[in-house]
Amino acid sequence: MDTATVDKSNRLSATKLGGKMVSDYWDNVFTARERGEKVVWYNGSAVNPFFQAAGLVWCHGEAFSARLAAQRLEQPAQLAAQEYGYVGELCSYARTHLGCAVLTQNAAAHGNGSGVVGLPEQAELASKLPAPDFFVNAYAGCSTGQQWDDISYRVFGKEVPIFNVSLPFLWGNKPDAGYLVGEEWEQASDYVSGQLHELVAFLEQMTGRPFDWDALRQNMAYLKQASQHRREAMALCAQAPTPATFWDWVASIAHINFLPASQELVDYFATIKAEIEQRLTEGTPALRNERYRVYFDGIMNWNKLGFLARKFADHDVAVVAGRYTHQAFWQEPHLIDPENPIRGMAQHYLLCPTNHGAGTIRQLILGDCEQYNVDGLVFHSTRTCRAFTNPQNMVAQAAQDKLGIPSMFFEGDVADASFYKDEILESRLEAMLEGIDVRRARS
Amino acid sequence: MTAYYLGVDLGSTTAKSVVVDETGDIVASQVVQMGAVSRAGLAKSMAGALETVGIGEDDLAGTVATGYGRRLVSGVGRTFTEITCHARGVAAMVPGARLVIDIGGQDSKAILIEPDGIVENFAMNDRCASGTGRFFEVLARAVECDIGELAGLALSGDRDLEVSSMCATFAETEIISLLARGERREDIAASVHRAVAARTLGLVAQVGKHGPVVMTGGVARNAAAVKFLEQTLGLPVTIPATPQITGAYGAALLARDTGDRPVAEEPEERRAESPPDCTSCTAYAPAPGARRLIPLEPR
Repeated sequence: MDTATVDKSNRLSATKLGGKMVSDYWDNVFTARERGEKVVWYNGSAVNPFFQAAGLVWCHGEAFSARLAAQRLEQPAQLAAQEYGYVGELCSYARTHLGCAVLTQNAAAHGNGSGVVGLPEQAELASKLPAPDFFVNAYAGCSTGQQWDDISYRVFGKEVPIFNVSLPFLWGNKPDAGYLVGEEWEQASDYVSGQLHELVAFLEQMTGRPFDWDALRQNMAYLKQASQHRREAMALCAQAPTPATFWDWVASIAHINFLPASQELVDYFATIKAEIEQRLTEGTPALRNERYRVYFDGIMNWNKLGFLARKFADHDVAVVAGRYTHQAFWQEPHLIDPENPIRGMAQHYLLCPTNHGAGTIRQLILGDCEQYNVDGLVFHSTRTCRAFTNPQNMVAQAAQDKLGIPSMFFEGDVADASFYKDEILESRLEAMLEGIDVRRARS
Repeated sequence: MTAYYLGVDLGSTTAKSVVVDETGDIVASQVVQMGAVSRAGLAKSMAGALETVGIGEDDLAGTVATGYGRRLVSGVGRTFTEITCHARGVAAMVPGARLVIDIGGQDSKAILIEPDGIVENFAMNDRCASGTGRFFEVLARAVECDIGELAGLALSGDRDLEVSSMCATFAETEIISLLARGERREDIAASVHRAVAARTLGLVAQVGKHGPVVMTGGVARNAAAVKFLEQTLGLPVTIPATPQITGAYGAALLARDTGDRPVAEEPEERRAESPPDCTSCTAYAPAPGARRLIPLEPR
């Protein structure tokens, strides 16, 4: 039962401007064919600065699935994927995107290229993606990503080229291993850097023109600045009450993850940072009555972004940080050298939050918990993304043992609403908060 | 004049009411089995408990509600989750208990508690009804016996038929297949009880195996469920005299402990009502000492 009656959340207004940027981006994707532009489909890491430099239109599979889910338009695509043969427990990003591929193929078969006559409106949107000229796969820490693109390749009749960037898992078990340090880190960085040079050669082959290295340098200069603003703004939220929440950072994932690198992008994150600074100056909190601060571990449940933001606020809970937002998406801008960007890009592709051994994940999350001074952890046990959920119990145990921070788990999913049950989240959240209350009263 | 406190546990299959006096002793209790989160069951249960004491609702010094239907109970001071209430109830019923295993009609929980009844950690079953009271209802229906006869049936079984513990619906299919294969009802019942115990062990693993162990909830009245759980855990399991009312008892004690007030009230300086429009709020400075401010250092 949804007990939220009054919205006590106070989301950043800057992110509303960002909504138009995202819509414009997708409109640009939908109309790529009309402009005679080549289209690349890709999944996983943010290799889009390469595509931008190569003059391509790019479509990130998870991003489009997330967008459909956020708009509650995901079901036709998911049904199409199931009809094609994919079970309901396959990654719902993959299932949705594969369904889009099927619907796109259907649309093309009917000759109008933008939807099938008679299909419901939702299916029409799911089929709006222009078919790919080629795929690039660059998936870290995921057991589904490469098979996903393999199936997409089959959906399109095995006629669309694929380039695969192989990203090794960072085990972190050598004596000198650690976050951003050690032989394993350096070797993996070299290995991926070499593949990125091969990716550039592949793009030259696909586009039939020389790669524009200056454009890539410019893109990465923009991304470095945008990321710096983003990270500095996040750090400001260590203060209590927090001026912005995890939900604000979720609303800005699209921008940092796949929108074109540009001055507009830099300005967007500068505006967010300025709004947060202004809130701190004026004393404006991100929710009406912050009584608890929690960390959110798990990929976003895209069907429930606004709903969850209101629900947590209704319980006076500020969700101040999360692994998905704070340990991903160009999160280490100091690694980016715009003049020589390849190695820093390779390193960020390795820094996917599912691509670390459990020890590193534990270290990163507990570090965030201390930095943001949280009272509890909320684990979104993402039903179809076990890569994210596998180490969660270990992290919960470590948070309890080392920091005395309690946890709760709730089940849900990235893009399949059927896995979410509100009463489960409601009861477990209340139970965790009751425990925090009791401890506070006792101390 | 004696002060009385009422705890109400409106669960998925039963409504339970417990009245305690100011010393925390149970003076009345009433369990009513009706439909899911039944308002009629709730009313009957409350009326029965109050009638035993000879008082009306207006005479109560405090009331706390818990269970799935806790928000449906009118006139309560506040609500607590079953997790907090079971922990509080068990700490009072079985002093020194560390691990509470509560198997109710709809869900099952493992709750690690501190000696004073504070919840240290907890784990609950996910959406599947496997390992809950509902699972046993499915079994009783399939083997055509009354739910009260299940324990005797299971304790007579000796073969392990490896029934799936993952899904109540598929388990029913599995049971029917076993019956069709000619397996004995006793062995099937025993195997299902083993499966529930194994499922419960998975919850215990999430909070850590600790003793003494106390089992609450309706399933604690099933002797076979307790026996198989003890075997699986490798630890003795204590059953309170009235396991079904543990949550309601904990709720009544919390009503007495808190006097209807929230357990942890906000410090006075932080309690000031925020203005309706947060964007115009100017009084948000954190309470001194309420929270450590983190120095803003670069990563």
